[in-house]
Amino acid sequence: MDKPPLALDPNFSGASEDFPAVLRRKGLLQTAPEVTSAANGHSFVPTESTTILAFKFSGGVLVAGDRRATAGNTVVYDRADKVLEIDRHSIMAIAGVPATAWEMARVLEHSFQYFRRTQLQEMSVDGKVRALSKLLRDNFGFVMQGVGVVVPIFATYDANSKPEARLYFYDAMGAQFEVTDYAATGSGSPAVRGILYYENNWGPKKLQELNEDEAVAIALRALDTAAEADTATGGVDRSGKVFPLIKVVSHEGITTLSDEKVSGIFRQRVA
Amino acid sequence: MIEEPYRWVEAIANRREYVETQLAQGSPIAAVGYRDGILFLTVGRRSRQKIYEIYDRIAMGAIGHPGDIERLRLAVIELASTEGFTRSAADVSLRRLAHYSLSPVMKAAFEQVYGPPYLARLLFAEIGSSPKEDLFLRIDYDGSIAADGPTVQPRQRFAVLSGTKSSAELMEKFLQQNHVTDAALPEAVALAADAWSVGRMGLGESAIKELPESDAIRKHRNDQLAESGIEAAVLERDSRSAIRYRTLAEEELRSNLQR
Repeated sequence: MDKPPLALDPNFSGASEDFPAVLRRKGLLQTAPEVTSAANGHSFVPTESTTILAFKFSGGVLVAGDRRATAGNTVVYDRADKVLEIDRHSIMAIAGVPATAWEMARVLEHSFQYFRRTQLQEMSVDGKVRALSKLLRDNFGFVMQGVGVVVPIFATYDANSKPEARLYFYDAMGAQFEVTDYAATGSGSPAVRGILYYENNWGPKKLQELNEDEAVAIALRALDTAAEADTATGGVDRSGKVFPLIKVVSHEGITTLSDEKVSGIFRQRVA
Repeated sequence: MIEEPYRWVEAIANRREYVETQLAQGSPIAAVGYRDGILFLTVGRRSRQKIYEIYDRIAMGAIGHPGDIERLRLAVIELASTEGFTRSAADVSLRRLAHYSLSPVMKAAFEQVYGPPYLARLLFAEIGSSPKEDLFLRIDYDGSIAADGPTVQPRQRFAVLSGTKSSAELMEKFLQQNHVTDAALPEAVALAADAWSVGRMGLGESAIKELPESDAIRKHRNDQLAESGIEAAVLERDSRSAIRYRTLAEEELRSNLQR
């Protein structure tokens, strides 16, 4: 007897399956090649040409990223969004190969929703953090081939946990590190980490005590500093009026700061 | 013996009777359009959820066997999610899910008399960018689809699901008389709860045949609510988020119904 046009598998066990597994079963998600020693002669160069940063302040977690996308030493795009909303309370900021990173964000976004819809409950923060970790691990074969490295930051807000604001950064293999105050990745991150470390220890206020305007000012200064020495970081494009993308995740959800607000603070406190 | 056409027709008729008996006790679900979206509501045991989120703009209510509902629900979520992932959320359409995926599968299962049919009756709604683009759609265990499509009859912005045909018809009759499209949410909740009561009174041994007086409906509703859980969700038209589905808290619902 012919199968119905779109067969519902009688042994369907969707309940225990995560969304990337569904995509692989349907052939919609590429599986990375096995990691072999020295990856067939390719040398592993961790290129993450960008700067993203995140830190906790009094109003939640601020996540900021410059807008430049590069290929080698060419600037290909100056309005890239590297700070992506995954769900109502989670932000993923990406440093690395945009094609892989955006795909990963898309998979992640659908994973959380798929879990909530099938399992009838929200995925826990730990579950979400782990889901991203697994995506990175699954992608590592591509990384070893010299394509597709992604080093993200994940920020989320969970009213049921202590502390409520949670911030993680990852390495390319998928190890997750929870931080108490700030995180930065990408090629411009050494400068940013220096600034945030300095501000947090010897600045007028600790990062967690800053109000929103002060937090935005520090984020802009940090990105401007990163762009000073790193060609792959856009910083603030004063002539083109392209400002870094800044989002805040808090109890109320995610707010994207308007260009007017960011440019206003830039003029007042940075320029 | 099933190969003989007459026997096959007989087998299908028996099977229809069997499925109808199995579904006859299903507690009704009402879906009504209101000013800001679409409301799904039912009353019943707290332990079992009957209203579900399918995708950004699609909700489902179901009665039937929990195992069958679950298989259909997971399948349709998987279809919608992969479509939304590979293309975009705008490409996920209830009409296509129902006509090209669910209906053929349910029909085939029902008519292959050696296999088990799906003991489930499903009610879907999809919220559009304007009320004109909303879609209500019901799929029965045999794959037949009832939609409020423009070709069938004047569009009505509500749909119901119940254990028996006569109960569903009473609910529809009640809503035809009482439903207003621009009601606020609290009024819509009260109306949907009344519609549920009408449907519930139309089930079982002492099923009513005609619409009861509004006092009788209200009394039945309050009696039932005193001992059962109330479950509801909305699809909101102007939500900031792409996800329009939101579950309503029981306390919020009960405060709406205290009048």
